Amino acid sequence: MIEIDNLHVRFDSDKGIVHAVRGVTISVAPGEFYTLLGPSGCGKTTTLRCLAGLETPSGGSISIGDVVVHDTDRNISIPTYRRDIGMVFQSYAIWPHLTVFENVAFPLREMKPKPKETEIERRVKNALELVQLSGYESRPAPFLSGGQQQRLALARAIVREATVVLFDEPLSNLDAKLRAETRLELRRLVKRLGMTALYVTHDQTEALTMADRVAIMRDGEIAQEATPTEIYKRPVSRFVASFIGQCNFADGEVLSVPTADTPGQMNTEWGRLSYSEGLDHTVGDKVTIAVRPENVWLAGKGIDDVATSITGEVSEIIFLGESLECRVTLGDSNLITRLHPSSEVAVGDSVGIIVKPNDVAILAA
Amino acid sequence: MSNTALDVGQTVVKKRPANLRNLAGRFFPWAILILIAAMVAAPVFSLVVGAFSQSRLPNEFSIDNMGLGNFYAVWVEQRIDLVLWNTAIYVIGSTIFGITTAAVLAWLVERSDMPGKMWVYAGVPLGIAVPGILHAIAWVLLLSPRSGFLNRGWMFMTGSEEPLFNVYSMAGLIFAEGLRLVPVAFLMLVPLMRSMDPSLEEAAAASGASPMRTIRRVTFALLLPGVLAISIFQAITAIENFEVPGILGMPVNLHVFSTRVFNLIENIGTIPAFGQANAAAVFYLFIALIISFFYLRLVRHSERYSIITGKGYTPRAVRLGKWRYPAIGLALFFLFVTIVLPFLVLLYVSLVGYLRQPSIDAFQSFSWKHYEAVFRQPRVGRVMWNTISLTLMTATTVTILSFIVAYIIVRTRFAARYTLDVLSFMPHSIPGIVLGLALFWLLIQFDSLTGASTFGSLYSLVIGFTILFLSYSVRAMSVAMIQVHSDLEDAAKLCGAPPWRVAIRIFAPLLMPTLVGIWIYVAMLSVRFISLPLILSQGGNNEVLGVMIWSLWDNGNINSVGAIGIMLMSVMFALALSLRIFGFGQNKGGGAI
Repeated sequence: MIEIDNLHVRFDSDKGIVHAVRGVTISVAPGEFYTLLGPSGCGKTTTLRCLAGLETPSGGSISIGDVVVHDTDRNISIPTYRRDIGMVFQSYAIWPHLTVFENVAFPLREMKPKPKETEIERRVKNALELVQLSGYESRPAPFLSGGQQQRLALARAIVREATVVLFDEPLSNLDAKLRAETRLELRRLVKRLGMTALYVTHDQTEALTMADRVAIMRDGEIAQEATPTEIYKRPVSRFVASFIGQCNFADGEVLSVPTADTPGQMNTEWGRLSYSEGLDHTVGDKVTIAVRPENVWLAGKGIDDVATSITGEVSEIIFLGESLECRVTLGDSNLITRLHPSSEVAVGDSVGIIVKPNDVAILAA
Repeated sequence: MSNTALDVGQTVVKKRPANLRNLAGRFFPWAILILIAAMVAAPVFSLVVGAFSQSRLPNEFSIDNMGLGNFYAVWVEQRIDLVLWNTAIYVIGSTIFGITTAAVLAWLVERSDMPGKMWVYAGVPLGIAVPGILHAIAWVLLLSPRSGFLNRGWMFMTGSEEPLFNVYSMAGLIFAEGLRLVPVAFLMLVPLMRSMDPSLEEAAAASGASPMRTIRRVTFALLLPGVLAISIFQAITAIENFEVPGILGMPVNLHVFSTRVFNLIENIGTIPAFGQANAAAVFYLFIALIISFFYLRLVRHSERYSIITGKGYTPRAVRLGKWRYPAIGLALFFLFVTIVLPFLVLLYVSLVGYLRQPSIDAFQSFSWKHYEAVFRQPRVGRVMWNTISLTLMTATTVTILSFIVAYIIVRTRFAARYTLDVLSFMPHSIPGIVLGLALFWLLIQFDSLTGASTFGSLYSLVIGFTILFLSYSVRAMSVAMIQVHSDLEDAAKLCGAPPWRVAIRIFAPLLMPTLVGIWIYVAMLSVRFISLPLILSQGGNNEVLGVMIWSLWDNGNINSVGAIGIMLMSVMFALALSLRIFGFGQNKGGGAI
C-alpha cells in the first residue's frame, strides 16, 4: 500500500547541507500498522513528511496505493492536497477559529465533488462518535482538553476514509495514564476501519504495543526492520538492543557451534554460556552478545536449579514497584537482572547466574 | 476502502500543469525580491546621482555636468557638521526622554499594583492618533515665548518678564518629540515586561539574592537588550521625524537634518538648491543607515536572551504602598498633557472669534465660523478626496504586499529570504524627506523618458508611502505569521485543500486581526505623515490634508488649522479605537495559535 524506495532528503541549513534521510526503503502492506521508531533527529519525521508531500525528497520514489506520488528521476511530485492520506500531527493542528464540527467537516468540504450537506453531517457525526466526541460538535475547538483535542485530530484524519493515515508522535503531548489508554484504543480503531497506518514515535512502548512491524531508524537509515517480538528478542546491533528496553552486553568467543539437539558453547566476559541460535558463526569467532535483564535468572530464585559456572555478588538493588532490579558484579563486569519483587536477595549475597540458551542474542556487528 | 480523493488517470493528466505551477512558484519569490529591491534601490540611486549633479534643476540633469561641488558646498558653506551636532542632541535627548517616560508607564501598568491601570493601558496608545504636526502646533500655542497661553498665564500671575519655557528651542524639540515617541515605545515595552518569566526572578531569590540585587542582576540584565533595541528603533523614528523640528525648530533656524534638507529646496526668497539638498540627504541617509545596521545586529543577537517563552505569566505585582495614588496621578497627568491638552487647545482656537488668551470674553465669542470658513475654501473638497483615496490605496497596497513578503520570509525555503528580510527593513532607515527628494528626482527623470505624468500625481504619494511603511508592516506580519503554527496549514493541505483554499480558509481567518490592524495603522500613518507629501505635492492633483495644514499654519491662518485639526483628530481617534477593538490579536482562547 505504501512503497518508499531509496528515499534521500538533504536540507540546506545554516550549518551546511544536512543529509537527513539516507536511502530508506519501506514497504507497508494494506491494513498494516507500521511504525518508525528512533531517537530525535534520526529522520523518521522527515520520512513521514515526504510521504505526506510536506517535504520534497532529493532522491527516490514514493507510491501510495497504485499512485506514484513522488519520483525524483521521473520528475513526478503530486502536491499534498491531492494525496489520498489523513494525518494526525504532534501539535494536533486543530484550527482554533473553527468549531469541533467544522474542523472535522473540513476534509469533506474540500472533496471533489463536494458531498451533500446531509452526507457531510452524517460522516462527521459518525467520525466524532468513533472517537467518543459526540455532543461537542458546536464547541469552539480551543475549548477542548488535551486528550479531546487529540481525539478530534484523529477524527479529522479518518473522516475522509483515506487509504493511508499518518501519525506524527500523536501521543507525546498526553500524560502517561491517558497515553497508555489511547495507545490501544487508537490501534483498535485503525484496525477496525481497515486503514493502513504509518506511525512515527520515539517511544519504544508505543512501537512495541501498537505496531505490526517496526523499523528502527538511526542517522537517516533503517537499523532494523522486524515484528515487535523479533526486534525485541533478536536485535541486530547494540543500538537497537539498547534503544528498545534495557540490555546486558558482553564480548565473547565461540567454543562450539549449536547442532539440532545440543546448544553451542561460548566463553564470555561473564563466564561460559550456552546458546542455541548461532547463525553462521564458527569456532573461534569473536562475537558480542545481548541478554535482556528479565532473562537473567539467579540460581535457586524462581527457576529450577541448573548447573551454572557463573557466580557473582549482588552489589545494588533497586525497587521499581512491579519488579526488583538487581546489579550483579562478576569480576570486572556487571550484569543487570530483573526479579520478581518478592525475591529474597540482599546486597552482598553471592549468587549463581543462569541464562537460557534461547535468550542469548548474538549481534550482527 | 474507497480511493476517493484521487485516482491514477487524474495524476497523469495533471502532471504538466503541476510542473508549470512549480516553475511559477519558483520564480514568484524572485520577482518579489526584485520588486522590493527596486523600490529601495531606484530612489536611492537617483538620490545619489542627483547629489553629484551640478545642474540647477533636476530636469536639467546631464551626465556631463557632474562633480563633488554639492558635497563641498554642503559641508563647507552650509556647515552641515553643525546640523549633525544638533541632530545628535535632538535624537539622543528625545529618545532618552521618551523611553524613560514609556518605561515608567509600562512598568506601572505591568508590574505594579497601581489603581486604574486599565485606563492608562488603554489611554497611552491613543497618543498615536495625534498627528505630529498638530502635536507640535498645540505646543506652540501653549508655550511660544510671547503669545503661548501657558507662558502668558505665567507672566500674568507672577509678573515675570520672562516666559516660563520657550518651545522654540532644543529643549522644546526634545520635549515635544520625546512625548511623541511614548505611545509606540509603550506598546513595545509592555509585552517585553509582561513576558518576563517570574520564575527567573524567583530563582535568583532562591539562590540567596536580595530583592535589589535580583532586580539589578536578573531583571535589568534580561530587559536590557530589549530596551536597547526599542531605544534604537525609537531613535530611528526621531531622526526621520520632520513635523516637530519643522514647526518648532525651523522658524528660529534651529536645524536638524530633516529640516535642513527641506530648507535647501523650499526656502522662500532663495533659489532651491536641489543638488545640495541631495548631498545633505546622502549624509542624512548614511547616518540613518548606520543606526539601522546597529539595530538589526542588536535584534539578531538579543534572541539569545529568550525572555519571551510564549506562556501567559501573571508576574507578581510590586506593592507601591502610599505611592499608589501619586503613581496614577502621574500617569493621568501624562495622558492629559499628551492627548487631552492638544485637543483642548486646538478646540479652543477653532471656536474662538479671533486668537487671544482664554478669558470669559473669549469663551463668549465661540462660534462655528472657522469651520464654515474651512468648508468655503474651494480646494478643501479636492484635498479631502485626495487624502481619502491616498489612505485607502496606501493601506491596501501595503497590507497585500507585506502579506506576500512576510509569507515568503516566514513560510518558504526561498534561498534569498534573509536578503528579502533585510531589504524589506531598509525603508525604515530612509527618512521621509529623503525618500521624497529621491522620488522627486526619479519621477522627473522617469516622466521625461517615458512621457508619463507620475510626478505630481497621487500615485507618486502612494508609491512613496508604500516604500516608507513597508518595513513596519512586514515586521508585524512576520511576527503574526510565525505565531500561526505551520502544522495548521499542513493539516489543511492533508485534508485536500489546494494552497489558495488553505490561504482563504485557514491562514486569512487566523491572521485577520493582524491584517485589519496593519491596514488601520498604515491608514493612520498615511494621514499623519507630511514630510514626503510636502516635497512631492504639486498643487491640486495631489495636495493632501497634512500639506494643507502646513501651508495654512505657514500663512498664519491659525483658526482654520484648529478647525481642520479637530476634525482630523476626531477621525484619527475613531481609527485608533477601531484599531484597539478589531486589530491585532486579543488572544481569544486560541491556545493552538
